[in-house]
Amino acid sequence: MRHMDEQLQELLERLLLMGRLAESMIALALRSLIERNDLLGAEIYIKEEEVNNLQIEIDDSAVKLTALQQPVGGDVRFLFMASRIATELERIGDQTVNIIQNTHHVLKAPALKPLVDLPVMGEIAEKMVRDSLDSLIARDCSLAAHVLEEEAKVDAYRDQIFRVLLTYMMADPGTVERALALILISRNLERIGDHATNIAEEVIYLVEGREVRHRHDIALA
Amino acid sequence: MEHLREELDELNKKLLEMSFLVIGSISQSVNAVINRDKEAAETVFQRETEINRLEILIDKLAFQLLALQQPVAVDLRFVTMAIKINNNLERMGDIAVNIAERALSLLSMGLLMPKVDLHYMAKLAQDMVADSITAFIGKDPELAKNVLKSDDAVDKLRDQMYGEILRFMEADPHMIHPGVDHIFIARGLERLADHATNIAEDVLFFVQGVDVRHHAQEI
Repeated sequence: MRHMDEQLQELLERLLLMGRLAESMIALALRSLIERNDLLGAEIYIKEEEVNNLQIEIDDSAVKLTALQQPVGGDVRFLFMASRIATELERIGDQTVNIIQNTHHVLKAPALKPLVDLPVMGEIAEKMVRDSLDSLIARDCSLAAHVLEEEAKVDAYRDQIFRVLLTYMMADPGTVERALALILISRNLERIGDHATNIAEEVIYLVEGREVRHRHDIALA
Repeated sequence: MEHLREELDELNKKLLEMSFLVIGSISQSVNAVINRDKEAAETVFQRETEINRLEILIDKLAFQLLALQQPVAVDLRFVTMAIKINNNLERMGDIAVNIAERALSLLSMGLLMPKVDLHYMAKLAQDMVADSITAFIGKDPELAKNVLKSDDAVDKLRDQMYGEILRFMEADPHMIHPGVDHIFIARGLERLADHATNIAEDVLFFVQGVDVRHHAQEI
């Protein structure tokens, strides 16, 4: 069955490549916002195409390997987990594209205020993605559980950013478009964190066989 | 052979059950917004638990099928499709919850609302969802393709709503908080349409054995 192991390894490598691309897209999107640089968007669109292609490749491989090799138990689970993680990564890619589109609206006028919370939130989300993939490589459930814990932080930032920007908008209607775009970016980042936790949940199931979706309290116990 | 058929039928049945629950939740969440109906929102929250339970159950059934029965060809494609549709349905259930939460938020704000019409966008999104499920049930590629074609219209509507709501918010500070909620609702509807197109793509993959994702313009 070595042939199968080789194929699985190759699949894993493509998944990790996809993960690195997604991480770099997050970093680019954040840079675009923080540096107020509209031009980084082009690079993100190029990477998005690569990410989308990888998703299709990984999906097709998973189905082909299932059909041709008739794998059992753990291998089947791995194949479809790979497919699901690929879906999460593709959605992360989509969110970074949304961030770029929202950033475009932010840059239409001078900065409302120095960005304090969004960059921090962005870093946390980026790290969650990285950690979720590292937990897969290392089969490390405690790292995966850590990713699940970080979700609360990201949610808290989203709420805080909303409160602050709401105050700005109510005080000055001229700020509405930019503030709204920033709020939407915070939601893009929150969703990226969400996808990272989905990946972490898959890893925990793969490694420990514990089903922790919709039950993070079990995961963190 | 009998076991395989039975298990495939069971998988199909559970998927249908989940589809109808989700369609119902979406309907109730839209109801909660448009008719300011608190109870409708509550129904959505209650149903969420059942939807999540079914997601896990369907996954289990699918994987057991794959591991123990080792289906091939069209049966394998069916199970693959079922796993993906399952995932999309659960996300749609989440979105319905988000919309219901926005409905409650709006309810707490009184009656002053931006005059934007979410009806049409909600109807469009819900029709796409219903059609994508019907396409799955009937294994109907034409209907699936129609769903894909409708996606653009929903995206345009979302952008249009965004512009309208923005203008309300800029004109009157009282419109700001409800305006933001309306924007979130419009985005939720657009994401529902998105998931409906994912389901349609999965149906096409099943019927034609071709992966059409990210290539909608070639259809």
